Amino acid sequence: MEKSEKPLITEDGLRTDGRGPRDLRPVKIEVGVVKNADGSAYIEHGKNKILAAVYGPSEVHPRHFALQDRALLRCKYHMAPFSVQDRKSPAPSRREIELSKVIREALEPSLFLEYYPRTSIDIFIEVLQADGGTRCASITAASIALADAGIPMRDMVVACAAGKVDGHIVLDLNDIEDKNGEADMPLAMMPNKGLITLLQMDGLVTQEEFKQMLELAMEGCNLIYQIQKKALKSTFIKTVEEV
Amino acid sequence: MIGERRSGQFVTPGTPLAIIEEFLPGPGTYVEGCYVYSKITGYMLLDTLNKKVSVYPAVKSPNVPTVGSIVLGIVESVNFKSCDVSIKVVGRRKLSGSLMGVLHISDASPHYVESVFDVCRPGDYIKAEVISNKNRTFHLSTVDRNLGVVLAFCSRCGYQLSKENRRMYCKRCKNVEKRKASSEYWVLT
Repeated sequence: MEKSEKPLITEDGLRTDGRGPRDLRPVKIEVGVVKNADGSAYIEHGKNKILAAVYGPSEVHPRHFALQDRALLRCKYHMAPFSVQDRKSPAPSRREIELSKVIREALEPSLFLEYYPRTSIDIFIEVLQADGGTRCASITAASIALADAGIPMRDMVVACAAGKVDGHIVLDLNDIEDKNGEADMPLAMMPNKGLITLLQMDGLVTQEEFKQMLELAMEGCNLIYQIQKKALKSTFIKTVEEV
Repeated sequence: MIGERRSGQFVTPGTPLAIIEEFLPGPGTYVEGCYVYSKITGYMLLDTLNKKVSVYPAVKSPNVPTVGSIVLGIVESVNFKSCDVSIKVVGRRKLSGSLMGVLHISDASPHYVESVFDVCRPGDYIKAEVISNKNRTFHLSTVDRNLGVVLAFCSRCGYQLSKENRRMYCKRCKNVEKRKASSEYWVLT
């Protein structure tokens, strides 16, 4: 990625893409886009374009992975070779494997896995275009896909990042801000419960800045949650009208 | 926490529906703390008469058979006393994967059978009813007339068997075999 010569935040307080420091990128969500999956969702979060599909509950393969008291949740996060500027090898990288684990662990507390023992629920996340904050958008999309699959959930999961760029606390970092900024903090939460399921951070911030970032990220999550709800609602209200 | 609400309102998982003192939790809901929450996407139903709140699903529920479901599967392995069936279709819905079911000899036929080899063979397509899901296993039954093998293959040459009177006959190698065939045995041309 090119190192930007321009400041990341201008004197008027605007960011590289013209947003204010507390603005979210435009989010667009579609539900049920993958016909053969049990549940699916497509999210456009700024320039991120991500597809999530859920299969299951079904037989675990290989069989010895099966858990006797609950369903096995498996998650695969994958970036398409054309999703970034330089071609990405389609083989799973170290980063993708870790993100798969992180996303799985962010979603796990929201599901009633004990309802389907000895089965597996598989989530496949395909990043078609990446521009910073893919893990957050992936979690948001995967949660909708799970809801679309009808899997009983305690709550939806939404994710949003906050960070520090050029000394300012900002919401929803894009790729340039993520790479050239001081800190990035992705956060996933269950909005109705106010429970955090994922919290990561890189960079250096003070305790006070951390608190501000946490608050801002939670605000962002609540904004995305409204969009998530609207997406689900419009999908099913439309289907009712068609019938 | 709970705003204005009415029956038929669209809810997503995690939406608080009521306080437990107001309403009992019905299907599609769960209780945590002092609230009743929705656990699926659907429409809220407030039963003010019985003081019960439930969620009518807008999404398809996970395709998992329940007791009484009619399933279609492929016979995986056969022993004398039981066989394993890989369930592929539940009701009219195809599974995205498969689920394992067990057919025991005592639930295989209304008549006495010597062994499950006289009921089905590996590779056969079988229609069965789920009679129990005890021990987290789907126990199947093919006692009913319309249940049993719907498509069988010759164990000598692999050609599809045709149902002739009460026997299964291979048109290619003239082999005769035993099956507990369904009354809906498929005729493939």
